[in-house]
Amino acid sequence: MLLDTFQFLAVADVAVEGEGPLGEILRKFHVSWPSFIAQWVNFIIIAVLLKKFAFGPVLGILEKRRARIAGGEAKLAEIEKQLAESERRTEEVLGKANADAKRMIEEAKLSATALGERKTQEAVASAQQILAKAEEAAKSEREQMVTELKKEFGRLVTNTTTQVTGKILTPDDQSRINEEAIAKVS
Amino acid sequence: MSFFARFSPFFGRFTLQCFFLFLLSGGAFAAAAEGEALPDHDHLPAHAEEVFNVLGISITNSMVMVWVVAALLIIVAQVATKDLKLVPSGVQNFVEWLVESLFSFFEGILGHKLAARTFWFLGTIFILILVSNWFGLVPGIGTVGWELTGAGVDSHDRYRPFFRGANADLNLTSAMALTFALMWFYWAFTEIGLKNFLAHIFAPKGEFKGIVLVLMGAIFLFVGLIEVLSIAVRPVALMFRLYGNVYAGESILETMSVMNVPPLLKWLPPLPFYFLELLVGFVQALVFALLCAVFIKLMCAHEHEEHDEHHGDEAHGEKPASETT
Repeated sequence: MLLDTFQFLAVADVAVEGEGPLGEILRKFHVSWPSFIAQWVNFIIIAVLLKKFAFGPVLGILEKRRARIAGGEAKLAEIEKQLAESERRTEEVLGKANADAKRMIEEAKLSATALGERKTQEAVASAQQILAKAEEAAKSEREQMVTELKKEFGRLVTNTTTQVTGKILTPDDQSRINEEAIAKVS
Repeated sequence: MSFFARFSPFFGRFTLQCFFLFLLSGGAFAAAAEGEALPDHDHLPAHAEEVFNVLGISITNSMVMVWVVAALLIIVAQVATKDLKLVPSGVQNFVEWLVESLFSFFEGILGHKLAARTFWFLGTIFILILVSNWFGLVPGIGTVGWELTGAGVDSHDRYRPFFRGANADLNLTSAMALTFALMWFYWAFTEIGLKNFLAHIFAPKGEFKGIVLVLMGAIFLFVGLIEVLSIAVRPVALMFRLYGNVYAGESILETMSVMNVPPLLKWLPPLPFYFLELLVGFVQALVFALLCAVFIKLMCAHEHEEHDEHHGDEAHGEKPASETT
């Protein structure tokens, strides 16, 4: 059967006189301008329609998607960069805050120590002052009481003397008796 | 004419085509009816045959096939891109996968800029050839037709199919190859210029001086002439390679279909070749498109590499050497 086919191809078309090899090929395969142009137009129409309805829109949407992904990746990179920057700043701020806090705590400790000492000293001074004042007040009070006691003693001695002697004492006598009595008491 | 009564001499092939579609459609396709007496058709013609005539223009069965494939491609493209979504699904997902895979494939060969310029052509070539080749295995293609009667009819060829494998017509393969040739030169001239184009072919490669330069110039002039011949032959090779492979496949399938076996086993001889044709259909589409891409790359490569290097330098914040000196 295959042999028949090849034999047919070899002998079916009788060579035309003056026809070259190209002409023989074109005649054997029925290649003619109308058929060629018709198939060429078919091909061009398919190419144009595929470009318009398939390749163009699909490549467009692929490019759009690619751009969107690239944009997303760029945004992601930017966000990661901002996040890293933010973390760095946060760490810096936290570090600075920690340092400040330590410094403030140290300062507060020092200040508290100084204040405590100052307050202790003030309290001691105040206590000493109060003690001195109390001592002074007690001394003064005691002296006043002694004075009053002496006066009372003198007055009692004078009264007693007056009653015992029945004699009205002159101021000079009274003064002299008081002084003698006070001298004997002290 | 009695159309569907003349399923064959290819009843076995038609049944097998139905079997293939049955497999592809998950069993939804009903088996074909049994054919009647077979008209004579002991070979597959080397050319497409006229199905009807419009205003003196012969419409061949391969043209009809191209229209069917074109309609299918356009419908799929329309369905896929009618309501494009950023998160694809269904047909859009499949078409995006196909287009993206193809673009990445050609981008790997040509670079992004040149791939973007030429993709409409390379993508069309690959998809059209692939779908045409595989569509030739669908039931009815090459197997449903009518019987020619009357005087002047070749007694060995009384059967005329409605459809014929689109690439088993040299008119289509030559149209694609010559379109490639035209676009090839256009892309080359616009990418590297006429001077670089000629230099690329004829100029000595390397730095020579004195008498060596004269000798090498003569040698490279001769090499350039061979290169011109090679360039001229490439589109011709493309068209005949595709046509030859597809026509050979069609011939084998037809030949196997009319093997002298019991009627119930008519489907058996062509069966292995259907799997082979699935592979050949893909490989031929890939070879045609790949060769086109490689030819484009060879012609436009130098200038592009320089451009890419420059772009790369600029992208890294460095000036090209010509600007820094």
